[in-house]
Amino acid sequence: MNQLQRLREEEESESYHDDTDETNNNNNRHKVSPGAGEHPLQYNYTFWFSRRTPSRPSSSQSYEQNIRQIGTVASVEQFWRFYSHLIRPGDLSGHSDFHLFKEGIKPMWEDECNRGGGKWIIRLRKGLASRFWENMILAMVGEQFMVGEEICGAVVSVRFQEDILSIWNRTSNDQTTTSRIRDTLRRVLNLPSNTIMEYKTHNDSLRYYYYYYSTTTTTVLL
Amino acid sequence: MSTGTNQVKSCPIPTRVLTLKDWSQLPDCYSQTPGGTLFSTTPGGTRIIYDRKFLLDCRNSPLARTPPCCLPQIPGVTVPATHPMGKLQDLKEEAEEDEKDIAEDNQFEMDI
Repeated sequence: MNQLQRLREEEESESYHDDTDETNNNNNRHKVSPGAGEHPLQYNYTFWFSRRTPSRPSSSQSYEQNIRQIGTVASVEQFWRFYSHLIRPGDLSGHSDFHLFKEGIKPMWEDECNRGGGKWIIRLRKGLASRFWENMILAMVGEQFMVGEEICGAVVSVRFQEDILSIWNRTSNDQTTTSRIRDTLRRVLNLPSNTIMEYKTHNDSLRYYYYYYSTTTTTVLL
Repeated sequence: MSTGTNQVKSCPIPTRVLTLKDWSQLPDCYSQTPGGTLFSTTPGGTRIIYDRKFLLDCRNSPLARTPPCCLPQIPGVTVPATHPMGKLQDLKEEAEEDEKDIAEDNQFEMDI
């Protein structure tokens, strides 16, 4: 395996000062690094969880209050420690999401790393989310996407009659990057044929669909 | 062919020769790019790359199995939800917990 031991300089995270961050464990800033004998990841990642309950309105301000950090990982072993103690997405109830984002990037489009970005989304029928989420995040933390710094994070969204996977990148109009992410997703997820993958920019100014069939592919630019 | 004064030592590309008596002896890594990706180079510079199989193998190590410290207690997510009928109560409790909890260290509790 292509492993490198290297010193990692402490990255400056954004600092969040309002009260909601402290109550939701969102202001944890102690440095996370691989332990002795552990395999370091190329980037540190933070697990987040969010749930929208019927009693809470779905404005963007309350979205931030509903989302909380679970923990940050810097090594393969730390990743498994957290992942193994989280319920699988297929077993989540209600309108819930897991997010796995690079440390320092908040899983919301207003974060400065996300403002010029977009995401590939894949809608799945029920029953597939757990397996595909696992394969997607293993590919992400294992650096299979090969798009430099472009990946911001991944989300699995549990909804009423479908589940949605998405992977966010920094630059929505970088077609080389978005094509490579798409192709990697096809390879690592082994998607059912006739899966539609949709690319959306966060500010929704440009959108295109990618239809994936087992023998032919079509890209429709809107 | 240049006739420069600097003589550079050449060395053959390292190869490994295996003799197989049977197709089943073909190594798993045959025809895979070392490092586990489709790319023969790493665009963007050298990176730490792990393939899926390696990551899954690491899951079984003792380092990967200890519970994480500071795992927040979220019913239905990090700890079992108490009772299916009590889900609304859990959500209400979680809402109250969110307002009270100020960066407390929540050790993951295991039922022994």
